[in-house]
Amino acid sequence: MVSEVEMNNILVALNEINDKLDRLLFQQDSSSHVSQEDELNELDVMTLLSLPDHLRTTATVLFEMGTATAAQLSEKTSKERAVESNYLNQLVRMGHVHKHRDGRKVFFTVQSI
Amino acid sequence: MKDTFTIAVHSPRGGTGKTSVAINLACAYAKEGKDVCLLDMDLKSPSTFNGMFPPSGKWINDILDYKKNIREVIVDGSESINSEGRFYVGYSNPDISAIREFSSKDRKWQSDALKALIQSKKHLQQEGFDVVIMDTSPGVDFTSANVVAGSDYVLMVIKPNEYCLTNIKQAIDGIYTPLGKKCGIVENMCLNGQSLQMGEKYGVPVLSSIPCMCEVSTQGLSKIFTVEDPSHPFSSAIGRLKVSIGD
Repeated sequence: MVSEVEMNNILVALNEINDKLDRLLFQQDSSSHVSQEDELNELDVMTLLSLPDHLRTTATVLFEMGTATAAQLSEKTSKERAVESNYLNQLVRMGHVHKHRDGRKVFFTVQSI
Repeated sequence: MKDTFTIAVHSPRGGTGKTSVAINLACAYAKEGKDVCLLDMDLKSPSTFNGMFPPSGKWINDILDYKKNIREVIVDGSESINSEGRFYVGYSNPDISAIREFSSKDRKWQSDALKALIQSKKHLQQEGFDVVIMDTSPGVDFTSANVVAGSDYVLMVIKPNEYCLTNIKQAIDGIYTPLGKKCGIVENMCLNGQSLQMGEKYGVPVLSSIPCMCEVSTQGLSKIFTVEDPSHPFSSAIGRLKVSIGD
C-alpha cells in the first residue's frame, strides 16, 4: 500500500522528469533548421473544429488565454499538467501553437499579432 | 472584476427574426438595469440595427483589422431607449466596399479576427458590462463560427419547420457542441401555435416558442417592442426568454 506522502513524492518526481523532457524537447525544437515561425500553421476556428476532442479543448482554452504554461492551462481544464503538456506539444508538432522558454518556464501561445 | 455574459444570437438559416430577437433582448436586459453592449457582427450583411440607435461612424471591422479597439467603436445608446443600465452599440460597416473587402479575407485574417474578438470580450469585461449580445450572420461559415467561439452562450433563432432540421443538427453537432458552448433555441414566427420542439431532439432546450405576429414582422426592424410596447405579447415572450437564459 502506497501512502499519501509517497504518492506525492512520486508525483513531484514525475513532474520533474516532465520538466526535463520539456527542456529536451525545447532544445531539439530550437536546433531545428526550420524555425517555428516558418512552420506555424494558423489556428483558426475551422481548424479548431477539425481537431480531435482532447486537443480541441486544450486549443480552445489556449485561444482564450493567449499565452500560458501547461500548469496554467491545466488549472482551467482540470486535467493533469503532464497531460496538458503532452497535448500542447502535440499542437506544437502540428504547427498550430508556438512554444518558447522564459527561464525555467515553457510558454505556449497562439498569438501571432 | 465581475463576469460578463456573452450571448451569440445565431440562426442556421436567414430570415428567422434573429436581429429583432437580439435587439429586443439586449434592450430588455438594459431596461432592467443591466449594463449591455449590443454588437452587429454580421459583416457580410450589416443591419446597423436599422438606424434605431445613435450613429457611430466607427466600425467593428476596424477592431478585427487591429486598427481600433472596442472602446473606440461602441457608442452610447442609453438615452435612445431610456434604459436603467448602460446600453452601448457597435456596428459593422454597411458600405459595399467594406463588405467586398471582408468577403475576400483569408484564413490567417479570420484567425487573427477571432483573437481580436476574444480581446474585445476581455475589454468589455474590464469596462464592467454585464451582458454582451452579438448578432451573427446566419449559416455556418467563418464569420458566424468565430462569433460562436467567442461567446459563452448561443441563442439559436429558428423558424419551426421540418426543412430546418438538417441545418439545426449541423449547427449543434458541427459548431456549438465541439466548441463546448451552452445553447438554447428560440422557435420564432410559429404559425397557429405550431411548436415542433425540434431542439429537444438534439438535447438542446427550446427556451421559447414565439407566435407569428404581423406587427412584429412589419415593424420588427423599426420598433423596439421591449422599449416602446412592454406589454406587447412579443415583449412578454422576450422577457420570458431572458429569464429562461438566466436559468
